Amino acid sequence: MTRVKICGLKEVQHIEAAKGADAIGFVFAPSKRRVSIEQAAELAQHVPISTDKIGVFVNASLEEIEETVEKVPLTMVQLHGDEPDELVEAIGVPVIQAFSIRSKEDVEKLERSKADFILVDAPGTDYRGGSGKVFDWSLLEGAQVDASRLILAGGLNPANVRAAIGQTNPHMVDVSSGVETDGRKDAVKIQEFIKQAKGGSMQQAVEKIGFFGKYGGQFVPETLMKAVKELEEAYAEAKRDPEFINEYHHYLSEYVGREQPLTYAKRLTEAWGGPKVYLKREDLNHTGAHKINNALGQALLAMRMGKRKIVAETGAGQHGVATATVCALFDLECVIFMGEEDIKRQQLNVFRMKLLGARVESVTKGSSTLKDAVNEALRYWVTNVEDTHYLIGSALGPHPFPTMVRDFQSVIGEETKRQIVAHEGRLPDTVLACIGGGSNAIGIFYPFIGDESVRLIGVEASGEGLHTEKHAATMAKGTEGVLHGAFMKLLQDEAGQVLEAHSISAGLDYPGVGPEHSHLADIGRVEYVSITDAEALDAVVTFSRLEGIIPALESAHAIAQAEKTAKDMKPDELMVICVSGRGDKDMATYAERLEGLS
Amino acid sequence: MKRLQDLKESGGKAFVAYIMAGDGGLSRLSEQVQYLQETGVTAIEIGIPFSDPVADGPTIEAAGNRALKEGVTLQKVLDEMKNWTFEVKIPLLIMTYLNPVLRVGVEHFVKECKKAGVSGLIIPDLPYEHRELVEPFAKKEAIALVQLVTLTTTEERLEAILNEAEGFVYAVTVKGITGARDEMSGDVQAFMRRVRDKSPVPVYAGFGISKAQHVELLREDVDGFIVGSAIVQAFQDGTIREIEPLIQAVTALNPV
Repeated sequence: MTRVKICGLKEVQHIEAAKGADAIGFVFAPSKRRVSIEQAAELAQHVPISTDKIGVFVNASLEEIEETVEKVPLTMVQLHGDEPDELVEAIGVPVIQAFSIRSKEDVEKLERSKADFILVDAPGTDYRGGSGKVFDWSLLEGAQVDASRLILAGGLNPANVRAAIGQTNPHMVDVSSGVETDGRKDAVKIQEFIKQAKGGSMQQAVEKIGFFGKYGGQFVPETLMKAVKELEEAYAEAKRDPEFINEYHHYLSEYVGREQPLTYAKRLTEAWGGPKVYLKREDLNHTGAHKINNALGQALLAMRMGKRKIVAETGAGQHGVATATVCALFDLECVIFMGEEDIKRQQLNVFRMKLLGARVESVTKGSSTLKDAVNEALRYWVTNVEDTHYLIGSALGPHPFPTMVRDFQSVIGEETKRQIVAHEGRLPDTVLACIGGGSNAIGIFYPFIGDESVRLIGVEASGEGLHTEKHAATMAKGTEGVLHGAFMKLLQDEAGQVLEAHSISAGLDYPGVGPEHSHLADIGRVEYVSITDAEALDAVVTFSRLEGIIPALESAHAIAQAEKTAKDMKPDELMVICVSGRGDKDMATYAERLEGLS
Repeated sequence: MKRLQDLKESGGKAFVAYIMAGDGGLSRLSEQVQYLQETGVTAIEIGIPFSDPVADGPTIEAAGNRALKEGVTLQKVLDEMKNWTFEVKIPLLIMTYLNPVLRVGVEHFVKECKKAGVSGLIIPDLPYEHRELVEPFAKKEAIALVQLVTLTTTEERLEAILNEAEGFVYAVTVKGITGARDEMSGDVQAFMRRVRDKSPVPVYAGFGISKAQHVELLREDVDGFIVGSAIVQAFQDGTIREIEPLIQAVTALNPV
């Protein structure tokens, strides 16, 4: 199974085009394709984590190489000069040594290399490194080099790569000028090259879609791979089927009660004295929150796949209720995993689910909250994968879940965009939403991502404060890692153990944020800030009394931040807050925490 | 890992024991490894505890939680192994979830494994598609990255995975998580035969192997057995001697 390396990349769009490749190369030696360490580090943010990032050097010092490996960071090093064996052996990461092949004598030289991989290329011309000339592949026949160490370069292009692979069966093929037009990389040629190189092999099915920059992936046990792949295919197909989309919208309108208003918040606007404030009213959805948009879409997809059993996790219980609701509607068998701690906090929702006919399983492991409920739901799915669909509730998990959940929630942002333009004749200046895993936020943000004038603010829960250990502020305090099938930002300790999150709001109590948000944070498109339990509770009171809407604790985080952000905005500016859910489910918490309210 | 291939070629069956590192304290690890080695197991998988072990059933999860309470980390396990003075005569493998590996750094991890005498890695949440994250580093240190195949693995994937298999293939005998079971599904035998026919390396059955009757059922269709939960539970209960007949059931007929 030959791998593909696309070399000499300098632009994000070409990194994106090269996602199906197994490796990408950054050139640090003098060349028209040269990039600085800083540029490479920036570009590396967009490379899926499981793709190799290879740095190309010509006679660089060990120090230079090590510094570059660390800063970009690189996973492999490719040497194109006259590097001595000592240097090759001193480099910590796997090394590719390149050789120009003119004759049989050159082949002998490469046979003696100490490097992990051998790259063979046509003789260099204007600079060391690839010249793009085709060399005589037959020279390699009979060479004492294990094909598993061999990387083929030199004059490859989409038209000849299959033949080259057929002749030498190399470990990898490497292309640079063969996927360029007028000296610049060409996205279409890159994709065509990858397709040709992988033609006929199963690799075609495992193109690295499902990554947002370096985040995402499918980090699940082998038992789930078939289900995840089937889901990926089924969703890709359903997404293009107008009948499926119509059915989804039919239920959104006739059952959920969409579209939901974008309410002008007159008293809030006056009280804050800042921008004109609009509220996206997800609280008005059937079942009381945005969760049903996604539950409905996934239930329709599950039935399309012939699966009539649903497993789901829930934190606050809103996703559990939404799932139990659609399962009742479509007569699907339903089991919901919920942390024991959350069951205590959300008694009413537990009974709702039972009333709707779902089986609620209490999870007593770990922190007994959302993270542990996801673990149990995944285990249940592993065991019942043939006839069961895992209806995940947030923009988390292995691909295609983050993409699918985002798509089903994007109806929030699409409506908002239409409505604000209808009301005001222009796009908003600021959009705010709360973030646990991040589904309502990605839903309202997504249609605005390309509108650079719109400031997007995601609000996570800092619980009892960022200075304490009791928070759920992954963006502020988290680091990269793998949890629940995706590479994303996580709250974890030095040893890579995932930490328990804390928030008064059960729905934000998750120690990670989905892969797309993780990427949006890295590239700076969305700002992420945090709000404490106390600030959120204050916002609940303010909002209830000024607008006559009792918000969910989760949504109150966005409202609390909106008040802060409003202070720096002008009266002619527009702000939209996503009111992701209503506060009914939190009434017991409100009664307890706001006791003595006058 | 070559001895695993040799054992297969001589017609013998392998018994691979799984233990949770640090269950009962990290100091117990060396005595457990020595005990198992003396009892005649073929190789040992040393499990690293993880906060979110989604591929594991209740027995191993509970053992992991006990180990985490003892403060056990991936690095501490490797440090402990580096300090062993007794002779390790059989292959040792590390079985860990991916996140602790990413946290310490893949390259560092693999180098430390080498120093600790580890010859293979099993990472249950690193599927074939993402093996590039670890494989090139492992290859550099000549450590095998063992792949899993399951009853749900499609034919096409199976071929691709077996094509690049190293060390041995871990064939999961159940649709589910780890843990002792009474019954084995009937299609397991056919599955094992299919995998074994195509595999260039030995094929070991794992997940749910806890009884001599499981061994008898699959003996002719696999090259060995991996036993986890039953051993972990026995160490916890202080009844590890009761496992010896199971080890015997697998290895008794092996050529010496």
